[in-house]
Amino acid sequence: MTSDHGTDDARLQQLVDGIVRLAAGELSARIEPSAQRDAIDAVITGVNLLAEELGHIYADLEERVAARTAMLKRTQVELEKLVKTDALTGLANRTLLSERIHEATDAGAPGGHVPAVLILDLDSFKAINDTLGHSAGDAVLVEVARRLCTIVRATDTVARLGGDEFAVLVTGASVEEVLLIAHRAWECLQESMDIGTETVWTTASIGICLRNGSSTAEELVRDADIAMYQAKAQGRNKVQLFHPDMLDAVQERSRVTAELRSAAADGQLTLLYQPVVALASGRVTGVEALVRWHHPVHGTIMPDNFIGIAEETGLILELGRWVLHEGVAQLQRWKETAPDLTDFRLHLNLSAAELLRSDLVDDVRETLAENGAEAGRLVLEITESVLMSRETGEEQVLEKLRAMGIGLQIDDFGTGYSSISYLRSLPADTVKVDHTLIDNLETDPQQRKFVSAILQLISAAELEAIVEGIETAGQAAQLLEMGCLYGQGYFFGRPVPAEEILDLVRRQDQPR
Amino acid sequence: MVVPPQTVDGGKATVHLREDGLLHLQWLPGSSIEVQDARAAMATVNDVCQGSQRPMLVDMAAVASVSREARSIWSIPCSASRIALLGRSPVDRVLANFFLGVHIPPCPTRFFTSRSEAMDWLNAGQ
Repeated sequence: MTSDHGTDDARLQQLVDGIVRLAAGELSARIEPSAQRDAIDAVITGVNLLAEELGHIYADLEERVAARTAMLKRTQVELEKLVKTDALTGLANRTLLSERIHEATDAGAPGGHVPAVLILDLDSFKAINDTLGHSAGDAVLVEVARRLCTIVRATDTVARLGGDEFAVLVTGASVEEVLLIAHRAWECLQESMDIGTETVWTTASIGICLRNGSSTAEELVRDADIAMYQAKAQGRNKVQLFHPDMLDAVQERSRVTAELRSAAADGQLTLLYQPVVALASGRVTGVEALVRWHHPVHGTIMPDNFIGIAEETGLILELGRWVLHEGVAQLQRWKETAPDLTDFRLHLNLSAAELLRSDLVDDVRETLAENGAEAGRLVLEITESVLMSRETGEEQVLEKLRAMGIGLQIDDFGTGYSSISYLRSLPADTVKVDHTLIDNLETDPQQRKFVSAILQLISAAELEAIVEGIETAGQAAQLLEMGCLYGQGYFFGRPVPAEEILDLVRRQDQPR
Repeated sequence: MVVPPQTVDGGKATVHLREDGLLHLQWLPGSSIEVQDARAAMATVNDVCQGSQRPMLVDMAAVASVSREARSIWSIPCSASRIALLGRSPVDRVLANFFLGVHIPPCPTRFFTSRSEAMDWLNAGQ
């Protein structure tokens, strides 16, 4: 550089200062060129232009970042909405309902009005899905959602919890208003709905829980759910307000379930045996095994108090397995002690769920083989309703059992809704007539005619009849007179431990 | 067709269609060219050309500054078929090359410090 353009040129210092300001992020800084328009001014101009470009790039970048951020926020809001919405009905889903209930419970009871939760479970929805298909089922759910939205207030939340279960959160309403909303929900589902060319009805069982002071959001839903199940148990299509007693009952069932799970292993289950008697001779032809639970705290628990729970929880499969093994083993013990009882038969009850147990047939075959028991010594009692509604799977199991030579007996005949014509096609050998049919046998001539007709009907279907619940000699005599072959009841013997059975058999064999 | 020199709106430039068919855009020395000045200049050029395409000499010697927005205006196609940017100083060169480097000119555009070389290049394109 010449002396004019030397390092002592003041413009160079300005240039350095300007670059330092720009480097510090002050992109609006500019360096004033001189009128000389020489190389130094060219550098100054270039730096100014570069700074302008950089500022523009930064501004553009910030604008893009802001636009992207806004777009991300919009997407996030949409996603949150999606995550909290039921895709089919557009209602709130369980997550959003839970959030709203938490908000409502956190808010306390403004104006003395506690939040309330309604749980609605559609009755017979599965039948719609099964008969009309899932798209029709979906259309029903959408219609139910629409109707529910019309009966709530703007501040209430209608949600679909999944499947055919809906919920309504009611806030800021009096007890009467909550009940009114529940009633309106019930009422709006009484009308039929047109799904395609079909007209369907789908009512709901509704449980209501009004928050008490300390209950949490989770407890509110749980208790509304318990009330809903209570409504179902009462015959469906009902509205039920939660009461703390219901929770006690649920917890009791839960306790029973847990204890029943280990009852067999802990040796708390035993079998009692009730004799089955040939009415003509009074001879004991067999016994029905009846399970008892000897609870260490609650004493002996009868099957009515735990079989239902076992069926609901699937424990019935384990229970049935235990009864089969224990009963057949006992049958063999009797056979060893009294080899002369060649046609003595063991009756075991078989539940609907057990018929679908994949290893039932093998288990029965192996258990008989292990104990050296003949198949003909075993009779499986199956309730009328199970036999009536059997499907291919059950049908095949029954055929295999019969093919093995095992006797099949219709249990509790007269308590179901059997089609009479169906009686002939049932895969059974004997029919056990329910005790309720002979209650007034000795006093009511009409009842006598009726029972006689039933026995004739059973005979006409080429089945043998056993009447249970015989308590008097008169009943036994009359049934014998009507042609009934076998009987069971307190008159012949209550259920007793295995060790008493042989004495009972010997006694009954004595002429009366 | 000869059109007498016309002053661009804003008064920072004149546009002259010469007898030889060349356009001459003359920016006044010391001008700071803003977007409205560039837009006005382009409008005048288009007006003068009446739809025909012509080579253009842009005399930008001693222009003080050209804003970014003003530079971007010359990315829009106009009646100029070729543009020779004529300057003298290193500052002119930097200004011209920022225009050429940052924006894509719609027609062949070059910077010259020699008027005769600029004229030769423009004429070579006719």
